[in-house]
Amino acid sequence: MANKRKKISRREFLKLAGLATSSVAAGTLKPFVEKRSAFSQKKKMMDDAGRAKRPWWVREVDKPTVDIDWGNMQRFDARMAARGSGFINYVGQEEFERLNKVAAENEKERLLKNVPGYTLKDQALAAAQANASTQRRFFLGPQNTKTPAERGISIWKGSSDDAARILRVAMRHFGAATIGFVELNEQTRKLIYSYDTDGKEIVFEDVEEAYETDQKRIIPHKAKWVIVYAVQMSTDALKRAPTVIAEQTTILSYSRALDIQNRTQEFLRGLGYQCLGEANVNGLGIAPAFAVMAGLGELARHNRVVTPEFGPMVRIFKMITDLPVTMDKPIDAGIMEFCKTCKKCAETCPASALSLDDEPAWKVQGKWNNPGHKAYFEHSLKCRTYMKEGAGTNCSICFSVCPFAKKNKAWIHNWVKAGISSIPSLDAMLRSLDDAFSYGAQKSPEEWWWLNLPEYGIDTEQTIDQE
Amino acid sequence: MSDDNEYFIIKIARRPWYEKILWAGWLFLEIIFLQSALASQEELEPRAAMIYWLIFGVLLLGGFVFWIVRRSRLL
Repeated sequence: MANKRKKISRREFLKLAGLATSSVAAGTLKPFVEKRSAFSQKKKMMDDAGRAKRPWWVREVDKPTVDIDWGNMQRFDARMAARGSGFINYVGQEEFERLNKVAAENEKERLLKNVPGYTLKDQALAAAQANASTQRRFFLGPQNTKTPAERGISIWKGSSDDAARILRVAMRHFGAATIGFVELNEQTRKLIYSYDTDGKEIVFEDVEEAYETDQKRIIPHKAKWVIVYAVQMSTDALKRAPTVIAEQTTILSYSRALDIQNRTQEFLRGLGYQCLGEANVNGLGIAPAFAVMAGLGELARHNRVVTPEFGPMVRIFKMITDLPVTMDKPIDAGIMEFCKTCKKCAETCPASALSLDDEPAWKVQGKWNNPGHKAYFEHSLKCRTYMKEGAGTNCSICFSVCPFAKKNKAWIHNWVKAGISSIPSLDAMLRSLDDAFSYGAQKSPEEWWWLNLPEYGIDTEQTIDQE
Repeated sequence: MSDDNEYFIIKIARRPWYEKILWAGWLFLEIIFLQSALASQEELEPRAAMIYWLIFGVLLLGGFVFWIVRRSRLL
């Protein structure tokens, strides 16, 4: 019997032991992997309020990097802005007509001479962007979607985190690049226009529902959350500034923003809440101010917002809702501090409309600026005059030359941004390197027609490395 | 037959520890500049790409020359 007993060698024993251990490990691995991946996915993508994870050098702060004197700030009358019909108020009808005539003559001459960036195909492209949109802007929204009451059910309920998260996800899906929320209080209400761009008064009233008359737009006190969102512009197009190629991406971003606004208004209506939008282009409130308060970016030297993710290559829009959402904080990524040293936008501004001062100031340049914050106020009249007399477009050179106007494909760009945020003493050297690498130089407008562009000309995955 | 004819004496010189760190640094920089050069081409920034390619090439050549020199010294 003892002879029949099978003996196993040491090698076989180790093989069997290894096999048994592997089987046990494999049996326990699956739930572990599932648990681990679900966690890491959530951790990587967003927090409970749906905020995408930002890199360590984008710091959340209690006060924005622009000094604000809320006591001295008043609600701004949007008719005082030097754009659209507001420009006429400053230069007069006669000068306005002269400038328009000059612009038309220049456009014709450039067309006849086939000036790159101003050719017939460029003009046709911009005209198509400007004239094809059939959507209308509504303060109260299109109001086509069934409300929960019309469906015979109660309104959507959730925590403020849940509300912020589903709004962010929906709006990202509608085409917004980044989204933030600001609560309207005594201070931030001052960022809502007193009179809208079309002359209607914007009034806060103790009513249940928002409404609009021929003279005014009424915002209920209960609607106190501002949804601020950025829409990307095409870097490839804007790097052709000040040509028509660059201008058309701005027009496209406004058109996409309108689409996002209408959809978001309908989405919130479907949940049972109100959503008040911009009834006119750039209406409702001061876009860069809300973007700063919502932490989308920092106010920069060119008086627009520069974001950590997309640089200045965004346009900012806003809506107001009565759905309680989790607020966001302003950020400090060293952008405003970098602007103090850089000055590239001001140096390259053909109209000399931007400030070259070392430090921002409280003193405004004219009534087109809203006092109460410390900034590099622009001379909007010089800017607008150049747009008509010189560029023949909305110029945008200040956007295209900005050192933050980079695609984030090269790792080194993100490290430079981290350096800007944490070691301000490097700012002057980094500005010089930006020049040496020729990053701000205008690209060939004709070359644009040979590019294999992504949808809308934007990279929808252009976010900073989140790990 | 003397002992001298029966044996070869081989001396193996060990590379100093800091040389390994230098090579690791060199490799790191090469990867960074190569990535920057390729990414700049993707970003349609020809001048930046050219500068990065140039730095990458010079660094590569420098590494090659250093390796040759060290190799012959060690031999």
